[in-house]
Amino acid sequence: MKKRDPRIFLFLLPSFIFLSIFTYYPIFDAVGLSFHRYGAFNPKPIFQGLKNYIDFFKDPIFWQIILNNVLFGLGTILPTMIMALIFAILINEVRSLRTFFRLSLFYPMLIPYAAAAMVWVFIYDPSLGPINLILKLLKLKPIGWLGDSRYSLIAIIIMTVWKNLGYYMLIFLAGLQNIPRDLYEAATVEGTNWSQKHWHITIPLVGPSTLFVFVVSVIQSFKVFTQIYLMTEGGPGYSSNVLIYRTYEYGFKFWQLGRASTLTTLMIMILLFLVLIVFGVWGRKITYQAA
Amino acid sequence: MKKLFKLAIILVLLLTLPLYMVMAGGKKEEAKPEGEKAAEETGNLERYKLSEKPVVIDFYFVVGVAGPLAQVIDGMVEEFNNTHQKILVQPVYAGNYNQTMTKVQSAILSGIPPDVFVVEISELYTLLAIDGIIPLDKYIEKEGGDTFTGQYFDALYGNARAEGKIWGQPFQRSTPILYWNKDMFAANADRLKAAGLDPTRAPQNWDELEKASTILTDREKGIWGVILPGGWNDWIFEAFVYQNGGKLISKDAEKSHFDSPQVLEALKFWYKLTNELKVSPPLRPWNQTPIDFSSGHAAMMYYSTGGLPLVRKQSNFDFGTAFQPKKVQYGTPVGGGDFHISKGIPPENQDAAWEFIKWMTSPEMAAFWSRESGYICINKKGLDLPEMKKYLEEFPNAKVAAEQLEYSFPKIMAPNFQEIRKVFVANLDAMMQGQQSPEETQKKLHTSVQKILDEY
Repeated sequence: MKKRDPRIFLFLLPSFIFLSIFTYYPIFDAVGLSFHRYGAFNPKPIFQGLKNYIDFFKDPIFWQIILNNVLFGLGTILPTMIMALIFAILINEVRSLRTFFRLSLFYPMLIPYAAAAMVWVFIYDPSLGPINLILKLLKLKPIGWLGDSRYSLIAIIIMTVWKNLGYYMLIFLAGLQNIPRDLYEAATVEGTNWSQKHWHITIPLVGPSTLFVFVVSVIQSFKVFTQIYLMTEGGPGYSSNVLIYRTYEYGFKFWQLGRASTLTTLMIMILLFLVLIVFGVWGRKITYQAA
Repeated sequence: MKKLFKLAIILVLLLTLPLYMVMAGGKKEEAKPEGEKAAEETGNLERYKLSEKPVVIDFYFVVGVAGPLAQVIDGMVEEFNNTHQKILVQPVYAGNYNQTMTKVQSAILSGIPPDVFVVEISELYTLLAIDGIIPLDKYIEKEGGDTFTGQYFDALYGNARAEGKIWGQPFQRSTPILYWNKDMFAANADRLKAAGLDPTRAPQNWDELEKASTILTDREKGIWGVILPGGWNDWIFEAFVYQNGGKLISKDAEKSHFDSPQVLEALKFWYKLTNELKVSPPLRPWNQTPIDFSSGHAAMMYYSTGGLPLVRKQSNFDFGTAFQPKKVQYGTPVGGGDFHISKGIPPENQDAAWEFIKWMTSPEMAAFWSRESGYICINKKGLDLPEMKKYLEEFPNAKVAAEQLEYSFPKIMAPNFQEIRKVFVANLDAMMQGQQSPEETQKKLHTSVQKILDEY
């Protein structure tokens, strides 16, 4: 191993200072506060050990929220990735109107989340919204969407998939364009059909993109806030409440900063764990070089 | 090829449709003038710059019912600024009640409070617990004490009094009332009469409500008998508990009374309407409810009196308003929002804020606000103004909420009401959607509310 030039630490210093102030310090502070009773109504933190954690583990609402997070993750990550890859392959193969298709899929990314959420509130409107109008035309029963516990989370999932699809598609598209054409030519000469070609060449070779998309969308699925805040406020009941929204409620609605920190700490732990697993298990198996 | 192009253009237009909607929506929002913008437009800032510097105060306000009330407030503030040279009020629309309380609380705790704000009346104990507001007694004394407060309906001060002081001034105040579709009642007169009901008046007790809802529900046409709206179902439910002679928590906010038989009976009644008879939809969003009613999708609804202008404008049928039906008595919590003045601001800002509050609740302004918003005309002197008399004569539906004050109770108040409200609404939601029984709901509500009360 080459010996490191000590000057590199000097160059890292500026970013380290900023990260310390705005990232590391708040994280450690939150971890510390998570063992305290602290908030607007008792401004002096009182140490109480693991009580906040135990309270949450005993609270059925907490487990429902974790379940919602898992469902939201499953509901967004897999469909988004599969659809993004398929659309990327199709667009890559389409000769005419490529820009048009790319734009059609990508434009939701350009709309601010808040504006998109308000549009979807209208789309989901139980009496005036287009979805229910279509359902009525098809003689199907209209659905309460955001106002119904059974559908509120699904409604948010659909909106989120729509919003993120274009971005991930673009990443896949970039990955596809890095795959050398001669591999496909060779495969065609060997007489493979369309699906074989993509199964054996495309999917393995977009591995790095897939890993990136997967990690980003796992993290994204824990960061879902804007659309929940604007579309359902976590309701009805707790049906569309997720970890980060619950943290916000504890922090800024109930002003129990200790408990909010507990939830934050739990979320950091879950995310670190997931990312480590993904990079540890999957990261090694990725084919980075086509050759 | 040309055809393909046309097709492509149509497709692009279709696929980007939501984009235009966003753009249209965005523009509308921009059009809302903020305080400074409005002042600039009327040349206020210029004038101020020439004379002495005005006291600039921030005013956070809330819009809690469907309808364009933000513009009404902006207009009122503009008039205040035009008539008061030394004060410049900057109105900030802070969202619905939940969002406004979050913003106010964060602002107070981070040491940059708005000078004057309106939040929901149940938040008083929270505001006191975080030491965010000043008592208004010294200002009220200066204005003449009881003669000043005597102008207002006394029931409205119920949620402003604590520790022997007055902490808030009533503003956008309401009670929930029963709206009923007179045409629909008339069309079903025979069936209503057969059940022993009078089709020319609204139901007066729970029993009549249940019967009328059952008769008027029409599944084929998608018409509900009555809507118990979600979002503020805690508030509407509180009314049912008072009607049944019960209460939710003790006055000192220490003991939960959710375990009382009166509460259980009210829960069971709601469960019956929503889940057994299915004459009330499981859960309707708050702002959606008046739209459902005025488009003829419900024969009756419980809603704030603040929904009146919208229903009046949008419904093409004759509708009436009435007291909420009674069980053992008529009863309702008051509702809405009060003005408060922040603590950690310079005294001249507090004085300016009081000037503003006084002006906003003067007979003329209270009457104007009541006509525009449907809220109660809080200032009794306002009711004697000729334009208000004329309005009430033409539109007697607007009288009901104020008359109902006679049977009103102060709304539930507790420190950290937001947390109680969350539990309250969530459990009612679950029960209305048939996910838990009334008994289970009662048990959960009692234990969680008691736990929250114990913490403070």
